[in-house]
Parts: sequence; structure tokens; C-alpha cells
Amino acid sequence: MPKILVIEDDLDMVTAIRMPLEANGYEVFHAATGEEGLQKVKEVEPDLIILDVMMETTTAGFQVSLQLRNPDPASEYAAYRDIPILMLTAIHTTTSLRFGPDEAYLPVDDFVDKPIDPDVLLEKVQALIR
Amino acid sequence: MCPVGNRTTRLLPGECILNLEHIAERLAQSARQIVQADAAVVRLLDENESAGGRSLSLAAAVGVPKTDLPATVPLADSPLDQAALAGDIPLWTDAHLLPPFDAYRSAICLPLAEGETVVGTLQVYAAPSGGFDSQTIATLTPLAALGAVAISAVQALRTQGELEAEKAHFIHVATHELRSPVAVAQSLLRGVLKGYAGELTPQQRELFGRISRRLDLLEQLVNDLLDLAAGQTSHGMGEETAVIVNASVGRAVLLLLPRAEEKGIELVYQACCDELVAWGTEEGLDRIFVNLLSNAIKYTPSGGRVEVTLRSIEENGKKEIEVRVTDTGIGIPPEAMPHLFETFYRAPNAKALNEVGTGLGLSIVKDLVERYGARIEVESTVGKGTTFTVIFPVYAHS
Repeated sequence: MPKILVIEDDLDMVTAIRMPLEANGYEVFHAATGEEGLQKVKEVEPDLIILDVMMETTTAGFQVSLQLRNPDPASEYAAYRDIPILMLTAIHTTTSLRFGPDEAYLPVDDFVDKPIDPDVLLEKVQALIR
Repeated sequence: MCPVGNRTTRLLPGECILNLEHIAERLAQSARQIVQADAAVVRLLDENESAGGRSLSLAAAVGVPKTDLPATVPLADSPLDQAALAGDIPLWTDAHLLPPFDAYRSAICLPLAEGETVVGTLQVYAAPSGGFDSQTIATLTPLAALGAVAISAVQALRTQGELEAEKAHFIHVATHELRSPVAVAQSLLRGVLKGYAGELTPQQRELFGRISRRLDLLEQLVNDLLDLAAGQTSHGMGEETAVIVNASVGRAVLLLLPRAEEKGIELVYQACCDELVAWGTEEGLDRIFVNLLSNAIKYTPSGGRVEVTLRSIEENGKKEIEVRVTDTGIGIPPEAMPHLFETFYRAPNAKALNEVGTGLGLSIVKDLVERYGARIEVESTVGKGTTFTVIFPVYAHS
């Protein structure tokens, strides 16, 4: 059963994400802060990370993705660098339209918009877990 | 060269006059020149009172190195300033002053005041004993008053700038705080509607569907209101710069292509080969085209067509950029035309459609268009379609 770690501080949003994923055979883990998320990455070794942007700070999610994708071979997250990251955001539809997966700027694999559409979420999750 | 503080973009005519240090510098120079003094110092009253009482900050010094003077002095430690601010203008003609003023025997200190407003002090120094008299005070008084007017005006403008920055910050926070609960509620509801919380009865499905539509409207309303507020502050839509219109139109088309396809509308983009550059912000330009295109798709029935064209035009020797969004939609009734850009206005035939709309999209467009020095025109025939044309001045590289 593929494991998905959801790093998101809003428990209702976690429920909304959990419902379609569990119904489709994914095992869902949860962390409420960026720091807890990084800890759980090591414990759970997920197949996919779903990451919120704004948590305890407005850029907590960015920090998590930057830490996980740190190119330094000595990074404590070097073993987890290849785990795909799906970022939850409302940013790129409402403000800057050029906000997209960009290695140089933000190391994530794809974005999913809030509010979440279960079909879109499942489609993106399936595409990232191969 | 005129100092412009920390502003780096778009130097407005006369902007250097709005720099506090520049004004203080000019004031000190003029005072020294007019009464043939050897040195002049301008100090400004600090707005906040600290534990040790009020203090003065050094704003300008001529004839003495600025570095030899303390950046701030408590008013209690400066008898010269204290006397001047109390309205008792000191005229010292044979004084023994402390360094760095020990070479001067004569000193005058005037309050920088205009009516009730006191902003600081102006000190002038001369080397010889008896270098100044009451005539010197009379000569300097109007200059000090004029300086006070200029300084308090700049201080007021600064406060306004700070308020604007605060407003932008508030909008940023509100954006998250208002959108977030709506997005969560919608996400949960979509899961329920898709049956992930168990089978729904037809009546439940119908009612949850209505709730979902209401939330769609609320989300749109929050987004539009925040865009409107953001567009009305200078920080709200980012820093204004030269923007490539082709790229902005392209992004908007790309974003709305799925929606057009979903509705069975042909979305055609006649791109222009040249790179056309206008003045604005990327976010602002994107918002203009996204709003116009999304309206066109929203108010065009299935099987219709939306065409976007971008070209360079020239009128009376003036080069302009024209973006047209043409649809084969329901059109705008003539009686609705005068109200089209009013906030919350929706044309009766638009309201009658089963489409989510807030009546804010075109207000946002108009605000942004005017902000960037562009103009918008609309032509429409009910039942045939509508064309919105936005015309931007070409941004010329200098």
C-alpha cells in the first residue's frame, strides 16, 4: 500500500485530502508543522509528500521542500531527495500565474489548488507515484 | 544628482524635494549663506517620547562635520534647543562653546515652527564675538518657518506611505485568513459530493450541490474583493515595471484553455510576432486578461468562440498595444453599458444565467487599466457577442 505523508496544519483540510486517498488504497500519514513533517519523512519514508505552503509561517512549506531537496550530499535528508512532492496552494491561480514547478525556484513536482477537487488530487497523486 | 532615499524605480518629477535629509541640508545651507554664518545645524524633534523625555535627531550640518555631532541629543541636554523650542530664541554673542563648536563665539537657535507645528531647530554659528544681532534673527525667521512647512509636509507624506504599506500587509494576511476557511469547506464538501463519506440520497446531493455553489460564489467574492483592494494600493500588485504583454496574454489563455474546452468553446489566440512591452505589473496585466477571458467564456454558450488578438497599432504617430477579446456570447444590453464597470454591477442577462459572478471583475480590470495609463473600450450586440479592447501605451526604453 503506497504511503502518503500530508504536511498540513488544518485538520479539516487533512480530512478532505484523506477521504479520497484512503478510499483509493493509499495509507495516509499526517504532520501538522514543517518541523514535524521533516521528522515524519524519516520515520514513515513515504512514497509521496503532500505539502501545504502556509503553516506556522507563511513560507514553512517552501522551507520543507528546500530542506528535502538540498543538493548537498551531506544533507540529513539526502536519502529522501527523490520522494515526489505535491504542493498544496492557492497562490498560483490567484496571484502570480507564472508560479509553477521550477527547479531553480521551488523544488516541488506539481501543485494542486485549494479548494481541492478529489478527482484532480487523485490524478496528480497517481501520476507522481509510479 | 538629487538624493532619492531608498526609492529605486520611477523617479517622479520633483521627487527629490520629498526627501527629508535633502530639505534639511538645503535649509542649513541657505541659513548659513543668508546671514554669512560659519556653520549651521538642523535637528528634528523625534516623534516618540522616550523615557528620558523628548530628543532631537541630527538632520543636517554644514560647516561642521556631521560625524562630529551626536546622531540624537536629549532635549534636556541641549539648552540652546530647549530655549528655542520654549519660544525664547537664544542670541549668544560671546559664548564659550564645547567642541566641535569651540571655534565659534556667536550662536543663534530658532525653532522650526509653523503655527502650532514644531518640527525641530535651526542653529547657526559664527566665529567672531558679536557676529549676530536681533536683525539676524529677523532674517532667519521666515526661512525657518518655510523649512518647517516643507519638513512637516514630507513627514505627513511618509506617514501616508507607512499607512499604505500597512494596508498592503493587512490585505496579504486577510487573503489567507478569508480564503482558507472557504477552501477547506469546499474541499470537504467536494469529497462528500463524490461519495467518499458514504452514499448520498438524491435530496442530499441536491442540497449539498447548492451549498457548494454558494461556496464557489463566496470564494470568487473573497478573491475579487482582495484583488480590488490590492489593485488600489501601490504595493498590492507588486512593483511596476516594463511588462511583456505577449507573455501575459499567453499565460491567461493557457490558464483558461481547460475551462473553454470543458464548456465546448473554441478559444483562439492570434499571437503577435513582435515582443510588445507596456508599463505595469505582471500580476496586474495577468489579472486584466484573465478577467476579460473568463468573462468571455462565462457568457458565451457552448459551441461558441472566443478570440484573443494582440497587435501593435499606431495612431497620430503614437505607438500603442491593442489586445482584443471577442466572443460570440450573450452580449451586453445597451442599458447596462453605462454601469458595466461599477462595483457589484451585473447586467440583467448575466444575472439570469446560471454562472457564478460577483460584479467585481470588470471594476478590477478598469482600476488596473487606469493605473497603467491604458484605456478600455467595449462594443456589444445582444445575442451576437462582445468585444473588449484594451489599449496600452508602448513602454519606451530610455
